[in-house]
Amino acid sequence: MKKTKQLLLSATAGLALVALAACSGDSGGGGTTGADFAKDYKGTLSVWGFENADEVGTSRLDYAEGVVGKSDTTVDLDASAFDAQKFTTRAAGGSIPDVVQMDRQFVATYAAQGLIMPLDKCFSLYGVEPDSYWYPQVVDDVTYDDAVYGVPQFYQPPAILLNERVMAAAGVTDADMDTSNPEAFLAAISKMTKLDGSNPSVMGFDPQGVGKAGLWMLSFGGKTIDADGKPALDDPNNAKAIDFLKEIYDAQGGYANAKSFVDSFDVFGDNNSYVADQVGGAVFDQWYVNVLTPYADQVQIGAVPLNTQDGQPFTVASGTSFVIPTAAKNPSAACAYVLALTSTDAWNAAGEARDATTQADESRHGINAGLFTGSPENDQTLRDAYVKTTDYPGFDQAIGTYYDVASSGQSFGSSPAGQQIQTELQNAVTSALLGEKPSADALKDAQAAALRAYDQVAG
Amino acid sequence: MLLVSVMWNRYHIWPSQSTTLTSGAANEPDQPPGGLPMTATLAAPSATDPAPTPVKVKKPRKYNRNEAIAGYLFITPWLIGFLIFTLGAMIYSLVISFSHYQLATNTSRPAGLSNYQALLEDPKVLISLGNTLFYAVLAVPLEIIFALFLASLLNRVGKGAGIFRTLYYLPKMTPAVATASVFFLLLNGNQGAINKGLAVFGIQGPQWLLDPNWVKPSIVLMTLWGVSGTMVIFLAALKNVPRDLYEVAEIDGAGPIRRFWSITLPMISGSLFFNVIVLTIAALQTFDQAYLLFYRDQVQGASDSSLFYAVYLFQQAFRQFNFGFAAAMAWLIFVIIMLISLIQVKVGNRFVYYESER
Repeated sequence: MKKTKQLLLSATAGLALVALAACSGDSGGGGTTGADFAKDYKGTLSVWGFENADEVGTSRLDYAEGVVGKSDTTVDLDASAFDAQKFTTRAAGGSIPDVVQMDRQFVATYAAQGLIMPLDKCFSLYGVEPDSYWYPQVVDDVTYDDAVYGVPQFYQPPAILLNERVMAAAGVTDADMDTSNPEAFLAAISKMTKLDGSNPSVMGFDPQGVGKAGLWMLSFGGKTIDADGKPALDDPNNAKAIDFLKEIYDAQGGYANAKSFVDSFDVFGDNNSYVADQVGGAVFDQWYVNVLTPYADQVQIGAVPLNTQDGQPFTVASGTSFVIPTAAKNPSAACAYVLALTSTDAWNAAGEARDATTQADESRHGINAGLFTGSPENDQTLRDAYVKTTDYPGFDQAIGTYYDVASSGQSFGSSPAGQQIQTELQNAVTSALLGEKPSADALKDAQAAALRAYDQVAG
Repeated sequence: MLLVSVMWNRYHIWPSQSTTLTSGAANEPDQPPGGLPMTATLAAPSATDPAPTPVKVKKPRKYNRNEAIAGYLFITPWLIGFLIFTLGAMIYSLVISFSHYQLATNTSRPAGLSNYQALLEDPKVLISLGNTLFYAVLAVPLEIIFALFLASLLNRVGKGAGIFRTLYYLPKMTPAVATASVFFLLLNGNQGAINKGLAVFGIQGPQWLLDPNWVKPSIVLMTLWGVSGTMVIFLAALKNVPRDLYEVAEIDGAGPIRRFWSITLPMISGSLFFNVIVLTIAALQTFDQAYLLFYRDQVQGASDSSLFYAVYLFQQAFRQFNFGFAAAMAWLIFVIIMLISLIQVKVGNRFVYYESER
């Protein structure tokens, strides 16, 4: 009995150790030096991205597949959403795709960990100059340690999307919706807001205070990441921005009540907040105009830029990018492919495809909101070719506003702890808006937590 | 993979623990409820011997060698799975906890005790631990009471009992993601059905998902909805209470409350004890509900009051690639859970009645 037990125990320990050794036996691969890219390549190219691709995505996919197809390369697409855990486990299992689509704010984190390649050699091989081809603020998003790690696509500038019907009913004009004049702005919000007890049934203005926290901080002259990539959440201007957001929410029943109201919106549906007149204005990225086009007859929209405190139009860069993992098996093909995806020809194909659906699909009412590609040149070409005056002057004005504000965009900056900095900022804003902590304290705690995260990755 | 297996090993723990708690304690009270040689001990002569003699029998009854080998062969698949995916993974995560490890590149450098030191320095570890313990203290008793209540109701149903059992078990079959989406709508402070319902009675419901004081009760509510697994165990226990005990007590004039306290409760104390332990472990490992309600996307802030331990562990591992720290966190919660379970076993043994004991 005892012997059996002992035997079993030692066998257990032994086997466990064998399992252990099997797990850790792999060599530690993956240096940070980028691979050399070459123009001759072939084989298969595995790509992860393009979840729910629309015609803008599929037309570019087809184009890029054609480009690498000329070099005997077949593309194997995993069209699912980016997921950090999946990335990590696939990398550990040695089956990481050659091209991965991820949000630009994650790029520096993966670059700092040595998980993705610097692409400068890829750019120079094909004669692409990132800083002139894309908006500089877009390139800043994917720059880490003076090297560019991502090929950007899209630049969705946020601005204030107005509901002219609610505004007119309350006697509010576009000029009142000016964030650089806080008093008039708050007065306008109060005029439009309808409260049922402390629950709003109409919100004058939804600032998306938490989701767009970074935008608000920057528009107040604050910052979230400093020039070295360190967190800078305790910047005094950030607290001013939060205090202003708090005033905005307090004029509308307080953050919790307003947030619950916003959570109940039918954002993508027939009864969205602009059809149902639930908001007078809200911060939205450019793509939301596309969501509203089927309802062009039911809504009266317009747009104004978000202004800095000294009255300048302001926006931030956001969008996704393509990266090439360090462990990619076919980096040369990956380089050619991602540049093809974001080339002028690809965007022209996308513009054509979008135009075709605009013409064919009656529910779009002939409105083409344009494509915000991340590249000023391509934006302009596509705007000239396809964005025409329509029967809906409100839409035309809103689309024009988004185009105009794009050039005044700033980058959040890039940091190896970028994700954590944004998360900490959003948590701090939430805590402050809920009244758990004064804004300066919330930011101080967030800064400490973000700095801890930064030290862990950088140190 | 390793951390996840530690986080989710509650699913593996359940069946093996149940056998340990019942058969292990019943058959050989003088031996610590050990894990592996269970199959062997069941055949041991001492278990059925009413008066174990101190004299050692020179030649203990021999096992049938072939049967024993066959037995081990039968459990080999499980054994290998356990060694590699549970024990191996756990030991490896212990190794990781003493290093700065990067899973994606499988590289590590030694860290000594620094990950454990960081546990003490990071205020969020304490915050998340506090939140999780608070939740457990709130959730476990309510789950037990509610599950027992439902089980008693089902126990009384005569006709159509099967239908009701099935209906009440359905929540367990619902994926956590679906449950969370529904509760996200139900619990909306302005438009949610729960607050609309309360408003009918003139009660102004709280901002369930936003008010820091109501975040954990919201999750408790969601957990209660899915309590049917516990309920089924209680139901089986209730069905096993001999009817004649109730009849005798009734003749002696015991009312329903007295019968519950003096007959039902002692008779089901075994499963009660099991449920308390299992639910406590599950509560301390709460991940999916909190994650889905508060951390499902990354453009959403969450106040500190919704930061659960397992969520923070996940963030550290897969958002910040801080695997060593996350592994240290996993071991901390493992030790805490083990201590709590030990205390529960010590206290529980005083109250739990096992039929096979004298």
